[in-house]
Amino acid sequence: MIDVMLKGLPFLWQGLLVTLEVSAIVVTIALLAGVVLGVGLSYGSPWIAWPIRLMSDFVRGLPLLVLIFSIFYMLPLTGWQISNFWSAIAALAVFETAHVSEVARGAIQSIHPGQNEAGKAIGLTFSQRMLYVVFPQALRRFLPPWINTVVDTVKGSSLLALVGIVDLMLSIQQVIGRTFKPMPMYVLGALMYFAINYTLSQISRRLEARFAYVRE
Amino acid sequence: MSGNDRVSLVQVRGLTKAFGTNQVLKGVDLDVSKGEVVSIIGASGSGKTTLLRCVNVLETYDGGSIQVDGVEVGYAEANGRRRPRRERELARIRADIGMVFQLFNLFPHLTARDNVMLGLCKVRGMGRRQAREVAEQWLARVGLGDKFDSLPIELSGGQQQRVGIARAVAMSPKVLLLDEITSALDPELVGEVLTVVRELAHEGMTMILVTHEMSFARDVSSRVVFMDAGRVAVEGPPREVFSAQAQTNERLRNFLARIELKQV
Repeated sequence: MIDVMLKGLPFLWQGLLVTLEVSAIVVTIALLAGVVLGVGLSYGSPWIAWPIRLMSDFVRGLPLLVLIFSIFYMLPLTGWQISNFWSAIAALAVFETAHVSEVARGAIQSIHPGQNEAGKAIGLTFSQRMLYVVFPQALRRFLPPWINTVVDTVKGSSLLALVGIVDLMLSIQQVIGRTFKPMPMYVLGALMYFAINYTLSQISRRLEARFAYVRE
Repeated sequence: MSGNDRVSLVQVRGLTKAFGTNQVLKGVDLDVSKGEVVSIIGASGSGKTTLLRCVNVLETYDGGSIQVDGVEVGYAEANGRRRPRRERELARIRADIGMVFQLFNLFPHLTARDNVMLGLCKVRGMGRRQAREVAEQWLARVGLGDKFDSLPIELSGGQQQRVGIARAVAMSPKVLLLDEITSALDPELVGEVLTVVRELAHEGMTMILVTHEMSFARDVSSRVVFMDAGRVAVEGPPREVFSAQAQTNERLRNFLARIELKQV
């Protein structure tokens, strides 16, 4: 079993890079968009908050696979010239953005309203209050569930194999296609996914301790 | 009513404010001149805190007007129509109106010094070195010369509130709003905070304070305003307002009697 794994390993390298690349892109997009939407959910007028709420609830209510197939096959119908790679990324990014927006909303709303008032009272503008008052405090609440969404992204990216993105998952299946020995390769794949995600949750634990400057 | 012809620093006219169907302010008039200390007293629900929070637009008001140093705080006049002020305009106006909160509202992730420095750097555009100097001066002034690097959680309630005062006055506001600043303090910590306020009053800081400390209001105020059911019911120098026997207003008499009982 070990020798099959060792022989297969070099063929997974490229796929592993694609998985990491896809995850990094999706995590970045989802972080930026999710935080903006989370701020909109927390402080926006109903005209802003409601559409976000609707979008977020809808997306989070779908199985990821359904969302990936829908967006992957729907985007080209709009006449937009977009590569398979980027359609797949868009699908995953929409899904993760919806989750990050909820995480951001929760973290922001955990901050006492008096903090915003104190910021207003000394003349800080909205963006200054976010930057210097709310975000630094919300970070601690944001990080642990956010890292969970990062872990979900890495795991969820394996579904992109189904629309032909040659990531770690599809590389594994390609090796199996040649060796006809599924078990060792899937075990190897599982170990690799686990290694990535375990590292992430360890980082999360470190960060959590580091930002725990407010006792409760 | 006093025949005060001087231009008021804070001028409130016919102020109205409702929360839903609850009309909290029903036409409040108030004038505060430069250097005056005005205490607002009254039962809870009389609208005193709401009035104070309207002055720096933490609450938007519905009708009437509030001018601070000649500028309408909550609304701008454009083509003869009144529109709520935008975020940036409000920020500029609020920078000149200090506020100290009942629950301190210090920034828990910042040291005492950084709490005071934030506004100086980001709003006043001061360089870090200068801001640091100003912040440390003010913290020393309120008796916290040895607490620059302490986080709020490491300070007692009275110390936290003094940081709150330093944070507000360091911005050199035109007027300082104090919203029941001793209500959340243990009794033995009230004195140290009031001492600081008393000093500011002596130095001519214009202040509007909502308070339940009647003896303090009597000592420090140039004028006391008694609010009842969303209106200014009685207004005058402290010795007049607090001489309950001389008061013809029954609500004020009852209010003072209740307070007296509690404080004995």
